[in-house]
Amino acid sequence: MDKALYISMSGAKQNMLSQQAHANNLANANTVGFKRDLEQARSMPVFGDHFPTRAYAMSERPATDTQMGPMIETGRSLDVAVRGDGWIAVQAEDGQPAYTRDGQFNIDANGILRTAHGLAVLGNGGPIVVPPADKVEIGGDGTISIIPAGQGAETIAEIDRIQMVKPDNKTMEKGLDGLMRPKPGVDQPVPDATVTLESGFLEGSNVNVVDALTQVMSLSRQYELQVKVMRSADENSQAAARLLQNS
Amino acid sequence: MHAALWVSKTGLSAQDKALTTISNNLANVNTTGFKRDRAVFEDLLYQTQRQPGGLTSQNTELPSGLQLGTGVRVVGTQKEFTQGNLQVSEQPLDIAVSGRGFFQVLMPDGSISYTRDGQFHLNSEGVVVTASGNPLEPQIQLQDSTTSVTIGKDGTVTATVAGQTTPVNIGNITLTDFINPAGLESIGNNLFKETGASGAPVEGTPGLDGFGSTEQGMIESSNVEVVEELVNMITTQRAYEMNSKVVSTADSMLQYISSNL
Repeated sequence: MDKALYISMSGAKQNMLSQQAHANNLANANTVGFKRDLEQARSMPVFGDHFPTRAYAMSERPATDTQMGPMIETGRSLDVAVRGDGWIAVQAEDGQPAYTRDGQFNIDANGILRTAHGLAVLGNGGPIVVPPADKVEIGGDGTISIIPAGQGAETIAEIDRIQMVKPDNKTMEKGLDGLMRPKPGVDQPVPDATVTLESGFLEGSNVNVVDALTQVMSLSRQYELQVKVMRSADENSQAAARLLQNS
Repeated sequence: MHAALWVSKTGLSAQDKALTTISNNLANVNTTGFKRDRAVFEDLLYQTQRQPGGLTSQNTELPSGLQLGTGVRVVGTQKEFTQGNLQVSEQPLDIAVSGRGFFQVLMPDGSISYTRDGQFHLNSEGVVVTASGNPLEPQIQLQDSTTSVTIGKDGTVTATVAGQTTPVNIGNITLTDFINPAGLESIGNNLFKETGASGAPVEGTPGLDGFGSTEQGMIESSNVEVVEELVNMITTQRAYEMNSKVVSTADSMLQYISSNL
């Protein structure tokens, strides 16, 4: 039997995996701070003891697209968007720092500044604790200033500064929880004072829906072609079987 | 089956929930003291199909793996406690809070709920109650022959009784604040309940210690921005359409293979 059947089978299977990657990007088209995953196919030449013509295909996620998403104005003082490159440091569930662009913050019952997903936002020395305040403002450099409860505007006090980093985006990768971390073997990035925030804004998802949908359609057609090859391979082997029966 | 089907299904149901939130905000655009909700999306876990950095030989490793996302979900709704517009109503028992703080309302079961809706009425006993008949706490009671009621910015309630010249202090309205109002539980009827996430209630005098002042003859309108909601509705609808397109594409792929092989 012709091994082309296996080649096209792997092609169809990898197409389905790529389809999932694009479906995930599209599903997150409205997720704040989401960075789309890139997807590519690579040829995997695994040649056996025959004429080396047939290479398998393999889908992979080479990187995450860190391009900026659109800025959405919300007017809420605890919503922040990172301007340009840079990441906001949060405490992941394992207690280690991880990085995100999602700036929908809240103050919990204990005064800890948390993201909308409940992760503590890191400041100069660990999670940021906001004392009871009439007004909380986040400055362009991440400085959090408050007017303490019951005090006048002249008592405005600086309490902490949101930790932000600006590593080379090539050294970062998306973890299984969707947060960004340095790749294995790369040191934790150090706080960088040049990253700026915009308060009252959120960064939308950077998924290009037209692009993603076009990819979905082209993958679907590619898939049909693979199935067509499978069918041809089947027909070929049927013809061969018929010929052998007649003899 | 096709994983993209399930992934775009999560997209569809998340957009569905977002639309519910938006339509609830729009439905309450004229509700006194209503605070808008915002749906918060989160990407779901990623599955590792091929581990990046896995060794392909003793000296070489995979430069990039294959990690596939499994979709999106709405992790919660976030109440936005920004101030609504204050409208003049000229009604003596309409009180708006300008700033932080909630009125306390005594529930029939004896517990306390909190509200920003300051449209109060009198019941048959002269007690100040909400539109649903729950008394304000601490209770304010007016005498039968009261001709006028004045509520100060600090919550002091004075009443003039027919035949008397000097107004009499008949009680004080207090306000309650929470460190994290977004953690309050909405129970409908414009009421909120304390939760572990909101923190303990802190009671205080209006206008002092960071509490908002009580403004008589005014009501606080809903803080829903109609334009913003309509724009959100459009983006949600388009995202929904895109996801349903992926579902139908994934479906036609499966259909194609089952009819052609």
